[in-house]
Amino acid sequence: MKVRVVGCSHHNVPIDVRERLAFSPRQSQAALEELRRKSPKLEAVLISTCNRVELYMATENATALSRAEVAEFFARFHGLKPDEVFEQLYERTGAEAVRHLFAVAASLDSMVVGEPQILAQVKQAYQLATEQECVGPLTHAAFQAAVKVARRVATETSIHERRVSIPSVAVADFAQQIFERFDDKRTLLIGAGEMADETLRYLRDEGARDVTVVNRNAGRAEELAAKWRGRAVPWDRLGDVLTSADLVISTTGAERPVVSLDLFREIEPARYRWPLFVLDLAVPRDFDPAIGQRPGVYLYSIDDLRTACQQNRHQRDKELPAAIRIVQQEADRFMAELHHRATGPVIRQLKQGWQKPKEEELHRLLNKLPELDDRGRDEIRQSFDRLINKLLHPPLESLRRESRHGIPHALLDALAKLFQLKD
Amino acid sequence: MLSGVGIICFTASYGVALVLELTRLLFRSGIRGALLLGFTGAGLLAHSLFLYYRAASAIGSPLSSEQDWYLWAAWALAGTYLYLTYYHPRTAFGLFVLPLVLALIGVAVFLADPQPFARKPASQVWAAIHALSILLAVVAVLVGFVAGVMYFQQARRLKRKLPPPRRLRLPSLEWLDRANSRAIVVSTLMMGVGVLSGVLLKLINHAGQTDSVPWNDPVVLSTMILFGWLVLAVAIGLIFKSARAGRKVAFLTLASFVFLVVVLGVGLLMDTQHGGKNRSPTPACHSPCTVEGGTS
Repeated sequence: MKVRVVGCSHHNVPIDVRERLAFSPRQSQAALEELRRKSPKLEAVLISTCNRVELYMATENATALSRAEVAEFFARFHGLKPDEVFEQLYERTGAEAVRHLFAVAASLDSMVVGEPQILAQVKQAYQLATEQECVGPLTHAAFQAAVKVARRVATETSIHERRVSIPSVAVADFAQQIFERFDDKRTLLIGAGEMADETLRYLRDEGARDVTVVNRNAGRAEELAAKWRGRAVPWDRLGDVLTSADLVISTTGAERPVVSLDLFREIEPARYRWPLFVLDLAVPRDFDPAIGQRPGVYLYSIDDLRTACQQNRHQRDKELPAAIRIVQQEADRFMAELHHRATGPVIRQLKQGWQKPKEEELHRLLNKLPELDDRGRDEIRQSFDRLINKLLHPPLESLRRESRHGIPHALLDALAKLFQLKD
Repeated sequence: MLSGVGIICFTASYGVALVLELTRLLFRSGIRGALLLGFTGAGLLAHSLFLYYRAASAIGSPLSSEQDWYLWAAWALAGTYLYLTYYHPRTAFGLFVLPLVLALIGVAVFLADPQPFARKPASQVWAAIHALSILLAVVAVLVGFVAGVMYFQQARRLKRKLPPPRRLRLPSLEWLDRANSRAIVVSTLMMGVGVLSGVLLKLINHAGQTDSVPWNDPVVLSTMILFGWLVLAVAIGLIFKSARAGRKVAFLTLASFVFLVVVLGVGLLMDTQHGGKNRSPTPACHSPCTVEGGTS
């Protein structure tokens, strides 16, 4: 009974290597099909994301693929040299592999610890393996347990709530605390900085639809508006669109503020103090900081967001040991159950071995006592059952206890010899 | 039959729920939400049974005494809290709502008059409408107050550019703003119905008399001032667009709460003819054991 993972991740290889080893969903499907043909008894799940490519294998009796065999398999699939691939792969077996899977599912091994997408990716990978009939009792148990662990980490720690990237903090920690919904809000994009792009993507995910782009370069504004299915507005109408905006993302390369306090004061009466969320991601700043003091205006500069990110990172680091502890606990429990399953045949034989003499003795006794009614017979039968259970309890309990540290081969051998159990 | 279901039962349940809410500030828990719903639900059930028992066995109709009125107000507010907690389990509404629920129960037990209001059979329907609409207006003002306090706390944090505290989650400003605006409108409408039905009630009870409505009675006067303030608050919102959202609405709801506290204080502590009672300024000591059906 073996569990093994072979793969690579952002920890040990750069993105260009991960890109070459990555599997698209269609490639994953083909790879799993090939694995099933090659090793029908092998249970396998292939996780391929932008941060990792990992093949999880489990087997009751057959042999799991070694690191070299997986390297050869990956290399053949992607048209690479096996030696080159072998160097990039790590291998973990047994409890270490299970712990790794749990940490991956709980997003403790992610590039951005706590990011929520990985659990869905793990589930999708398992789903695909199920469709390809590559899973079995071991992978089923391991992946079910991994999902449970991820949920436990999410419930018992706030690690998933601690965003550490500037766009995610801007949207989750501030914009969503101001607005309940975004589909009825007007978003204004001033400039065309890279971070604005990412922030806008987060806002779109939250439902923001109405996007207006203002840029000194009309062509660039049209281009961005087409990308975000919004509308481009000439630069000289900045005041007008600012009047009706709910959210503003500003990332121009201007050397002095594009929205001064005077300009804002001009449009302020027409805004009727409706909340205005401003993300000033430009350096130097696009909005006069004094605008942030105006009623209803929530203005955040890149430094404000960076500070919030640092606080979140600090808090997340404080919670990380608790999350690791949960993963460790659950991995130990899973392995103990797995080892205990290995003792199943011996336990079954032990129970069956005691059943025969019990039935014989019971039969003999009941024949000698024909005057007994049904109730008396049942009482005696139950008494015999209790006796067998009590006699079996100590060895079974010993097996369970020893299973916590691995498959108790010595104890199993001893039991087999003592009770003359045969395979 | 239900004599074992007393004030202490539901007060204790709400108290435990408040303690559970306070633990949000200390640690995370996967089962706290279920416990909160369980304790508040159990408290609300006991509270409902208690009020039903009083209405059915002793007095004949709900809201028939000052004490009843406070207990019903606490019941409505607890029900609102249960609803909010069910739909927003991660938001710490209880820290703001449950102290008000317990305060209303405390006032009912220690300060409010348990004697039934004087009623004539012909005016019972109007009396019920009057009491119920005023009660709903008060609950709406209290909900608005809670939303206003939360609004200021949330707005202060956002202005100070701090990440949201994970253990004290508050709704978004937009949600709180909407709750504030609705609370003001509902409280004004209900207070209007309450005042109108109160006038009609007096006119029915004192048909033919010229001075049937005691406008100078402290409770009537303060209630009219509260109503006037609520109408003014709604009018401010209608006339001035900038006062329909944000801090101004939150301020209006906080001010409404202050007016409400004055009105309730006047009703509890001052000599008044309201409700057919005539009481000296010193409040009578109503020990919990005087509450019919209670075991406290």
